[in-house]
Amino acid sequence: MDLLAQVLINGMLLGGLYAVMALGLALVWGVLNIVNLAHGAFIMLGGYVSWYLYTYAGIDPFLGLPLTAVVMFAVGYGVQRGLLNLIVRAPMFNTLLVTFGIDVVITYLAQLAFSADFRTINPSSAGNSIAFGAVVLPVSRLFAFGIAIVLTVGMWLFLLRTRLGRAIRATAQNLVAARLYGVDPRHLYAMTFGIGVALAGAAGGLYGTVSQINPYIGAALTAKCFAISIIGGLDNPLGVIVGGLFLGVLESLTALYIGSTFSDVASFGVLVLVLIVRPNGLLGKAA
Amino acid sequence: MNFVFKISRLSALLMFAAAVSMPSGEVLAKEIVLGASVQLTGPVANTGRYYRDAYQLAIDRVNAAGGVKIGNESYKLALKLYDNQSDVNLSVRQYTQLVSQDKVDFLLGPFASNFALADSAVSEKYRIPMVQGGGASDQIFSRGFKYIFGTLAPASNYFGSTIEMLSGLDPAPKSVALLYADDAFDVSVAEGTRPKLKKAGLTLVLDERYSTNATDFSSLLAQIKSKNIDAVLVAGHETEILNFVRQAKSLAVAPKMYSFTVGVPSEDFRKALGKDADYAFGMTAWLPSTDLKDRWFGDAAQFAAVYKAKFGYDPDYHAASGVADVEALVQAAEMAGSTDPAKVRDALSKVKFDSLYGPIAFDENGQIDLPQTVIQVQGDRLVAIYGGNGKIAGPKYPMPAWDVR
Repeated sequence: MDLLAQVLINGMLLGGLYAVMALGLALVWGVLNIVNLAHGAFIMLGGYVSWYLYTYAGIDPFLGLPLTAVVMFAVGYGVQRGLLNLIVRAPMFNTLLVTFGIDVVITYLAQLAFSADFRTINPSSAGNSIAFGAVVLPVSRLFAFGIAIVLTVGMWLFLLRTRLGRAIRATAQNLVAARLYGVDPRHLYAMTFGIGVALAGAAGGLYGTVSQINPYIGAALTAKCFAISIIGGLDNPLGVIVGGLFLGVLESLTALYIGSTFSDVASFGVLVLVLIVRPNGLLGKAA
Repeated sequence: MNFVFKISRLSALLMFAAAVSMPSGEVLAKEIVLGASVQLTGPVANTGRYYRDAYQLAIDRVNAAGGVKIGNESYKLALKLYDNQSDVNLSVRQYTQLVSQDKVDFLLGPFASNFALADSAVSEKYRIPMVQGGGASDQIFSRGFKYIFGTLAPASNYFGSTIEMLSGLDPAPKSVALLYADDAFDVSVAEGTRPKLKKAGLTLVLDERYSTNATDFSSLLAQIKSKNIDAVLVAGHETEILNFVRQAKSLAVAPKMYSFTVGVPSEDFRKALGKDADYAFGMTAWLPSTDLKDRWFGDAAQFAAVYKAKFGYDPDYHAASGVADVEALVQAAEMAGSTDPAKVRDALSKVKFDSLYGPIAFDENGQIDLPQTVIQVQGDRLVAIYGGNGKIAGPKYPMPAWDVR
């Protein structure tokens, strides 16, 4: 019983981390209709930014997250303004190709710049845990989980309530109408992509405190975020949380009852099922 | 990418060597070209670099000492190296290119068993001997291939010395968990470990295979905790083991001991974990000891010093094994008195010499037999605990709980 409780908690905390990672991908996908294959690479870059801030400036990785997010926002804004805006209305295949190219370039530049050595963001607090009887709550994952909830709800309110958020949704719904109301799509697209990359960067900082960073972690993370976005649906940031938690718990239970090698089989199997049964995601509006 | 990488990383000497190795008619000195495809980029690049650096250093040394003496003539060694980007399929194509277009004389190996397993099919097909120091899986040597030789200790025996050590510990561990990744090397490790555990009277309570590149070990760790397992043996890759240790800490899982097939001997692994690496057991078939005499480097300690001075990081057994590969080919060519691949292959099967890596000799399958020395991280030092001749130093055992360290 304790074992099941522990594994369920592990799964939920893992899901929280998954949700932060996928949030930016889902936003960019939903608004710009760009499936950003470089998303994992941006998570990796965010991890390095956090690592440098922690290792050389002594900034606590959790307190440094806003700083990491700002740096990554600038990167994202620049990439969209200078590159992706040129092809944003091209067929999806082109945007896939370009973001795939960005992924390759970032990955290999990262190896030249940072070497292939493994980095961990490892302040003494990173491994702490709180025990409740036989069940243990790891502090960093709990933090990541909390940040995931805050970011998601914040994101949701931002899209719903703020002028910029409304402009973003309006542009996604009807570009012509939005322009007639004075929205500058080039700036707006870059803002959106910047926010997406900033979220990826923050996720990278969190990832570095619980796992390890090297230039090649991106591809697997992109795949995972892709699955979460589809399972949760793109309409609503809350869907990403649902998708992340669902996947985290599913993987943990699969590892416990069926075998660790089947975790990916389970998560991508569910992805296929969702695509067949609820193509707009678990929380999405029925097609 | 490839091109930029080579310019930035490989020495001008290598460029020169590659240039003169082109089939351009007459060359000044007679040359033996060794070909290899190594992971210079991609997920295992940080282990691949050991082989790139070791091959180059060994070749430079052999050339500086007058090259390879065959009959009355002296041959220079040259290296033709490709980056396989950590992609097995690409490495097979590159080895094919090395033998069919570049016409290299002999082959050196890639890193990792799954690569060596695939690439040795090329050396076998073209009948060019490959001496590889990166693949330890017994599968590589169980197919009756004639042209593959390996200098890594057999995977099936990785935990051999560790299990011997376990029965001498106080309090003796009783229950064991064996976790292994689903690739050629780690499956071989697990297959070799099970009968050894049985023989030592240890109960295997948890025997789990996980996916290569797995990042989440929380379910396995929860099981280790709830079954109260004493000793945990993990056969995997450095990234997985990093995650395993970090998650063990955050879930407060501290078995009496844990041991890992890779990582512990490597500097960057210990650096990444920092203090959390403490108490981790591992194994190595090589330590930079002055007892290991070598024809070109003097001894293993001198080799380690030269290597560190040149490349800026400490060599581990991967590097020593890579040097031994070059040396084995040189010894065999000198013994055969020829550069004919078939003659050198026959000489390799009989070769016997002492090197900085240990005594080099291959069994009829082409595999070396070296005992593993159990090592443990103790504070900021790496301590040899238990070797082929028994106990060397006291282990820190049992491992304390994470919150009282």
